[in-house]
Amino acid sequence: MSEAYFPVGPGLGLEENFLSLDDILMSQEKLPGRAETSLPRLGFALGQGTGTGDAITEGSKLEIPLWLAKGLHDSKRRIISVELPKIYKEAWRTVLSADASVVDLHKMGPYYYGFGSQLLNFDNPENPEIAQAILQTFISRFRRIMDSSQNAYNEDTSALVARLDELERALFQAGQKELNDFQSWEKGQASQITASSLVQNYGKRKFTEVDV
Amino acid sequence: MFVSDCRREFYDVIVNQRVLLLVASDVDALCACKILQALFQCDHVPYTLVPVSGWQELETAFLEHKDQFKYFVFINCGANVDLLEILQPEEDTVFFVCDSHRPINVVNVYNDTQIKLLVKQDDDLDVPAYDDIFRDEEDEEEDSENESDGSEPSEKRRRFEEDVIERTMKRRQRREWEARRREILFDYEQYEYHGTSSAMVMFDLAWIMSKDLNDMLWWAIVGLTDQWVQDKITQMKYVTDIGILQRHVSRHNHRNEDEENSLSIDCMRIAFEYDLRLALYQHWSLYESLCNTSYTSASLKLWSVQGQKRLQEFLADMGLPLKQVKQKFNSMDMSLKENLREMIEESATKFGMKDLRIQTFSIHFGFKNKFLASDIVYATVSLMENAEKEGPETTNFIKALDSLSRGNLDKLHQGLDLAKKQLRAIQQTIASCICTNLVISQGPFLYCSLMEGTPDVKLFSKPVSLSLLSKYLLKSFVCSTKNKRCKLLPLVMAAPMDVEQGTVIMVGIPPETESSDKKNFFGRAFEKAADSTNSRTLHNHFDMSIIELKTEDRSKFLDALISLLS
Amino acid sequence: MAGERAVGLVRELHRTTGGSLPPFRTEELRQALEEMRALYEQNQADVSEAKSGRTDLIFLIRFRHCCLLRNQRCILAYLYDRLLRIRALRWECGSVLPNAIQFHMSAEEVEWFNRYKKSLATYMRSVGGEEGLDLTQDIKPPKSLYIEVRCLRDYGEFEVDDGTTILLKKNSQHFLPRWKCEQLIRQGILEHVLS
Repeated sequence: MSEAYFPVGPGLGLEENFLSLDDILMSQEKLPGRAETSLPRLGFALGQGTGTGDAITEGSKLEIPLWLAKGLHDSKRRIISVELPKIYKEAWRTVLSADASVVDLHKMGPYYYGFGSQLLNFDNPENPEIAQAILQTFISRFRRIMDSSQNAYNEDTSALVARLDELERALFQAGQKELNDFQSWEKGQASQITASSLVQNYGKRKFTEVDV
Repeated sequence: MFVSDCRREFYDVIVNQRVLLLVASDVDALCACKILQALFQCDHVPYTLVPVSGWQELETAFLEHKDQFKYFVFINCGANVDLLEILQPEEDTVFFVCDSHRPINVVNVYNDTQIKLLVKQDDDLDVPAYDDIFRDEEDEEEDSENESDGSEPSEKRRRFEEDVIERTMKRRQRREWEARRREILFDYEQYEYHGTSSAMVMFDLAWIMSKDLNDMLWWAIVGLTDQWVQDKITQMKYVTDIGILQRHVSRHNHRNEDEENSLSIDCMRIAFEYDLRLALYQHWSLYESLCNTSYTSASLKLWSVQGQKRLQEFLADMGLPLKQVKQKFNSMDMSLKENLREMIEESATKFGMKDLRIQTFSIHFGFKNKFLASDIVYATVSLMENAEKEGPETTNFIKALDSLSRGNLDKLHQGLDLAKKQLRAIQQTIASCICTNLVISQGPFLYCSLMEGTPDVKLFSKPVSLSLLSKYLLKSFVCSTKNKRCKLLPLVMAAPMDVEQGTVIMVGIPPETESSDKKNFFGRAFEKAADSTNSRTLHNHFDMSIIELKTEDRSKFLDALISLLS
Repeated sequence: MAGERAVGLVRELHRTTGGSLPPFRTEELRQALEEMRALYEQNQADVSEAKSGRTDLIFLIRFRHCCLLRNQRCILAYLYDRLLRIRALRWECGSVLPNAIQFHMSAEEVEWFNRYKKSLATYMRSVGGEEGLDLTQDIKPPKSLYIEVRCLRDYGEFEVDDGTTILLKKNSQHFLPRWKCEQLIRQGILEHVLS
């Protein structure tokens, strides 16, 4: 990792961070919804129908990205109603509360926590349960993540991170960085000046990639 | 000239200068370099270190750097040739030469301004006296002056006659002197041998300045052990030098002798050992080590079925179960290990191996890191001549250099693994050479040539590995042959070096006798044989007895060598 | 679907980890801006229709507005994150960027980099007394004035502080003043050897 580059981190809880690349990609995730009224000329824009003029009929099912859902959400006039993705539904909540550590949150997410927190923006009656489920899931998975990130030294970690959600991966990476830094300090290598990782990357890329 | 006060004439001169270090590729040179680097680091002497593997690289390196430096330090290279003639340095350039190669070129010895030899004075150098090899040219100049001054004719005539007599006298004297000079030089230069290890010379310097550290001492030990492993010095010399180092060891490591003053386990300790001369045995299994150590393998004749049987008997005699012997030494039963050395020594004597234990040193730090000096030598050699990875030679040099630092244990372990492979390859090659009668008596010497396509042949295209193989092969051969005359012969060994360029590398080693003085005449002999046949040879290596040769020229070269030595 | 192009830019940048700078996507950026212009124009037209009574279009207008904001956010985040990466380059690679990196920057980014460089230089001159203070030096606390370095590739001649030069050739090793070589180590030409 470059030591001088600090990307804008994702926001916390209900707030997204406007300039965060992570949050932008998180809000690109889709969620199921339903048109409550007929919506003229929107068919093409939302990926239904073919002609530009097609309308979306009342009650038809939609898949819309989170950012759009948030933008169109209106607590007074329900034009589009939003449903829960299945990982946040009752059935999966039960699975997660039974044993959260076996669930592949990367496949189901991969922004399980961030996306879940955003769902609380919609006035869903299940909101308290969802919030509780997210929190409990995190608590029960955290110990194992921390443990593995602090102990996998000089190992291939791809199997360890395969089922982690993006937030968990970031935590795992942070733990790994600390572990490596500590090990290099113990070996007396912390004072070694090293080549910038940026430079190393460019050195490698120069031969492999000819950019357009 | 010889430097008599290393501190004043060498270190104090360069301590405020920038220095170029030219270091040869052998373990002793690496160790000497490490010591010097450590000294330079504590005194902030800016230096540049350039590894050189042969004369060609040395010349290029010199040309590239000669404008930027005034002071050059040569480590294990340069003493045995006329440096001034080869490198043509500027007048104000000064060469400090710390080299164990002998004999030292006489010009280097008697140049007072530009060449300073950092060599232990009490080595028997036998340098010819100045007057025997150099003659002032003034005499002749006088003559020519006399001729030109005009005097009376009669007197002139008388003078002329006197002159003629005088001049013929002088000429005869001169001829005699020159003949004598040639003889003296021939005697002096005929044999190539090795003096005190450079690492020890450097350690001495550090010690005189009271800047010696335990680490430096260890490097000095490894440097000396390298000379022993490579069979470069006599047993006598080895034992004497061990004695010198042992005094330093006890001076530096006495703190651990009693309980009260003991240091932390992590601190480095050096200890004198009277240990087994089994290669790498503490990092291998006892069985593997017995099979792959030249001494045991030659004495037991392990290449034959009989020999294998003898090995089993030997193990049985010691009462060591095979299962224990074949597993990692570290995992052997503690109870067995307790008196292991004495036990092995006792049985070994019965089997005719009287010298299975030798005086050496070990280094210890942390709970699991214990190494014998020879372990380090084997590891470093195989890192330095690692044939597995392609790339410039200097990369291997750097790796080997790094492996000598205690902070780079991973590199050392890598080296130990490579060393095991190398030792195995050597023993396998020896077995096949002896079993297929590849060692042929050529009259004045034995000859063995490795064919292209032999397993591991690539490993032996490097000088140190090939020399090791040749020395071990000769030892084994002497044990195997019944021909008494053959036992006293030296060996010439050739291995393919570069198939594309069609070259072989050839090394000559002195006879393997108990009283061997380790002096080698092949350097000069190779030179003469090459001259007389116009063979395309390259004397690139710092050891004269290792040459590179075009494959097509090999037979005529050998013929010349045979007739020369007969 | 609207916004795909802009989010594509973000996606690419997000994929490029370790702070490296991918090439500046002029064409994709132009297309995203073009899409925004189209959305804006359509909305202008529909707004006037809606004013004249077609209230069912209001939702459509709102949809397009969302898309506009989304595009704006993506593009801003793209440009901003690139600036963060470029700023990091000044600290990691020094004030002269390798050509390979410069090729990946837009003209505006190069200009921004130069201005950042200048501001930083001005600031560094203003602190630490007469000679100023090079903040990019000694990012790790130094332990000695001189360090041992090893040359990783042929670099050529290099001037040491007293005006003399030394030849940096692959696999040669040198003992030099730390401040002289720190930059070259960062650039991957020298390697710091710990003894």
